[in-house]
Amino acid sequence: MQLTRPRTDVDPRGDAVRPAVEVTDLRRRYGDVEAVRGISFEVHPGEVFALLGVNGAGKTSALEVLEGLAPVSGGTVRVLGADPVADRAAVRPHLGVLLQSSGLPADLTVRETVRLWGATLTGARPEDEALAQVGLTGRADVRVRSLSGGERRRLDLTLALLGSPRVVVLDEPTTGLDPESRRTVWGLVRQRVAEGAAVVLTTHHLEEAEELADRIAVMRAGRIVLSGTAAEIAATQPATIRFTMPAGAPALPAVPGAEVVAAAPRVELHTRALQPVLTRLLAWADAHGLVLGGLQARAASLEQAFLAVADGADPS
Amino acid sequence: MTTLTTPAAAAAAPTRLRRTLALAGAETRLLLRNRTAVVNSVLLPLFLVAFVPVAGLGGHGPVGPRIAVTAFAVTLVFLTYYNLVTTYVARREELVLQRMRSGELTPGEVLLGTATPTLLVTVSQVVLVLAGTAVIGEWSAPADVVLPVVALVGGMVLMTLLAAASTSFTRTAESAQITTLPLVVLASVASGVVVPLSAFPDQVAQVMRLTPIEPIVELARLGLVGQTWDGRAVDWAGAWAAAPQPLLVLAAWIAVAAVVAPRVFRWAPRR
Repeated sequence: MQLTRPRTDVDPRGDAVRPAVEVTDLRRRYGDVEAVRGISFEVHPGEVFALLGVNGAGKTSALEVLEGLAPVSGGTVRVLGADPVADRAAVRPHLGVLLQSSGLPADLTVRETVRLWGATLTGARPEDEALAQVGLTGRADVRVRSLSGGERRRLDLTLALLGSPRVVVLDEPTTGLDPESRRTVWGLVRQRVAEGAAVVLTTHHLEEAEELADRIAVMRAGRIVLSGTAAEIAATQPATIRFTMPAGAPALPAVPGAEVVAAAPRVELHTRALQPVLTRLLAWADAHGLVLGGLQARAASLEQAFLAVADGADPS
Repeated sequence: MTTLTTPAAAAAAPTRLRRTLALAGAETRLLLRNRTAVVNSVLLPLFLVAFVPVAGLGGHGPVGPRIAVTAFAVTLVFLTYYNLVTTYVARREELVLQRMRSGELTPGEVLLGTATPTLLVTVSQVVLVLAGTAVIGEWSAPADVVLPVVALVGGMVLMTLLAAASTSFTRTAESAQITTLPLVVLASVASGVVVPLSAFPDQVAQVMRLTPIEPIVELARLGLVGQTWDGRAVDWAGAWAAAPQPLLVLAAWIAVAAVVAPRVFRWAPRR
């Protein structure tokens, strides 16, 4: 599935802005297993792109190519117009990477770790500023081995963003974080995006994708099976109408555009035309003097769409 | 166009040297925080020196140069090689190598920076042995100083590369005790340190001269003791006349290891 959005962005000279990340028919194979089976997408400066999928869907395998940590088995990947593996030295100064899991020397302090990492980067921000942004100032002199899981994750994020990168790759950035820390991370990501960075992230938290991502792709078994904005993806699933039929009510007539998935008395209808179906339903109830108990009408959520795909159903 | 030449790239990039030194500095700090390792690093060569009068090895001319030759081989194999295999594997399994590789450090810089404390300790231990034997009056002027330096530097390069290659069949830091045995045994049997090569039939000795540790020992012995692999005494000119073969063998091993190590080295644990 192609996931390319036509953009009209221009730079101050009027030239078209090239995507910061261009992935075309990417494939990645481990022996006989093809973990990524031909995915394509683009991410533009100032945009957040989220890859969703269950474990083993191929998200991390795809990101490792963007990060320059693994070569492609097929297709092409360009970060700021360059191959992140072959042109590693050119790409790395502009790339911030948060790996899904990574280690740090356990007997260095937080400050020493940030100082070490900063000394290897182009244009690293001051360490005090970086630590303050993730709330680790008070833990600066604590050794890494003594940090909690959430604090280590925030330190990881600090390192990923330390060099003011133009492309940021975040593999499950908020795993293990408490809600407050998660919002801190979201704020940092938004700040980078406001400064023009392109962000590619994976997450298992769907609300995180809804909160941060301009566009989302859902992967299953190495392929992108759904893509678009959160609203577009949610719209691939039918809306749901639920109510309890009062005792003695006449049988519910067939409503065009609605599918009855649970019969009276606790009725559940699925429809892709929520407003007209609901209008007809209410008109019928009014005509018969019925009160539909506990009436609920809900558009599908991103979670429903995700679960439908993750369960293996064909996306619409 | 969104390219790599926009103003963000104008910030000063750290040089290769600065990046490597930054990592080496952090690694050295980690070493210094491990008091047991620091004490062992200092005590081991001093024990080797103290062994000379205790065992009554002196008396037939200064034994310092011969002790130093032994120190070259022992330090390079048991410290440099073994330590680096365990360090690289431990860092790989702890996902530290993968993290280091995700930034601007190049793979070579990561490996060199990580190895630096071990290489510094290697040099320190050799210097301590040389100084110690001089202090106890068991030193004599070397036939040549360049050959031992080449042996030490070349040996450190070779041990680093062989350690990197050995991590490909070493799953855990603990299993390095087993996987490093082949080189340890080879060094013990075929380097001429434990048993002189002249004690073997000539054809066997010639094969042993092709093993990785022997040329290091041979070059060190030529320079420090003024003696060829088969026990012949040589002066400066004689030492250099006998040096081409061990130099070539050492260079060949380094070249082979430099080709193999990057191909087989893994940065992350097996999935």
